[in-house]
Amino acid sequence: MLLAYRMAMESPLVEAEGVDAMEFGELSDKYGVSGVPHTAINLGANHVVGAAPEDMLVAEIKKALEN
Amino acid sequence: MENMLNEDIRKQVREMFAEIDQPVEVLFFGTEDEASCQYCKETGQLLEEVTSLSDKLSLKQYDLEKDGAVASQYKVDAAPTFVLAGRDGDSVTDYAVRFKGIPAGHEFSTLVNALVIVSKRDSGLSDKTRQFLGELKKPVKLEVFATPT
Repeated sequence: MLLAYRMAMESPLVEAEGVDAMEFGELSDKYGVSGVPHTAINLGANHVVGAAPEDMLVAEIKKALEN
Repeated sequence: MENMLNEDIRKQVREMFAEIDQPVEVLFFGTEDEASCQYCKETGQLLEEVTSLSDKLSLKQYDLEKDGAVASQYKVDAAPTFVLAGRDGDSVTDYAVRFKGIPAGHEFSTLVNALVIVSKRDSGLSDKTRQFLGELKKPVKLEVFATPT
């Protein structure tokens, strides 16, 4: 989550929202969250399951933008 | 209500807040309707207690419905949600750093760290990542799901 926050700090085009998966169960279900952390990129254009190092999250954001 | 943070935790958080650089404003959006927001009251109180541990932190509390214009300005669509923004005198800078839910357990330490990161006004990311983000043409929304344990 902190990595997403750092990205939002860096770019005015990046929004980062941490979500408590228990409290927002409906939203979690919508994205098929079954394990945490789970990062949904651009409303589900791509997903990262598990803790992602910086390079990996960048790569997955690139993929989401290509879709 | 009793304090949510005990003296040990307050002490630890104060130590971490020694790193706080510039002021951070926490904007909390709750709702009075307890039926639709089970943890709003607790989240508000927790944020009050946390922001009281550094004079560089401030808290503004809003109602999701009554203050709908402020909520939509900060892209807040549910309660409880809070926004961590930079404050410089009267001006508030929105970095689009938000959290939906009560920051309990593991998420509490994330909150403390996030406050320190926002206070530094610097992402701390690698040059490579900064370059990639600097060249973005389209918006990117990251929703990171977590649990307290």
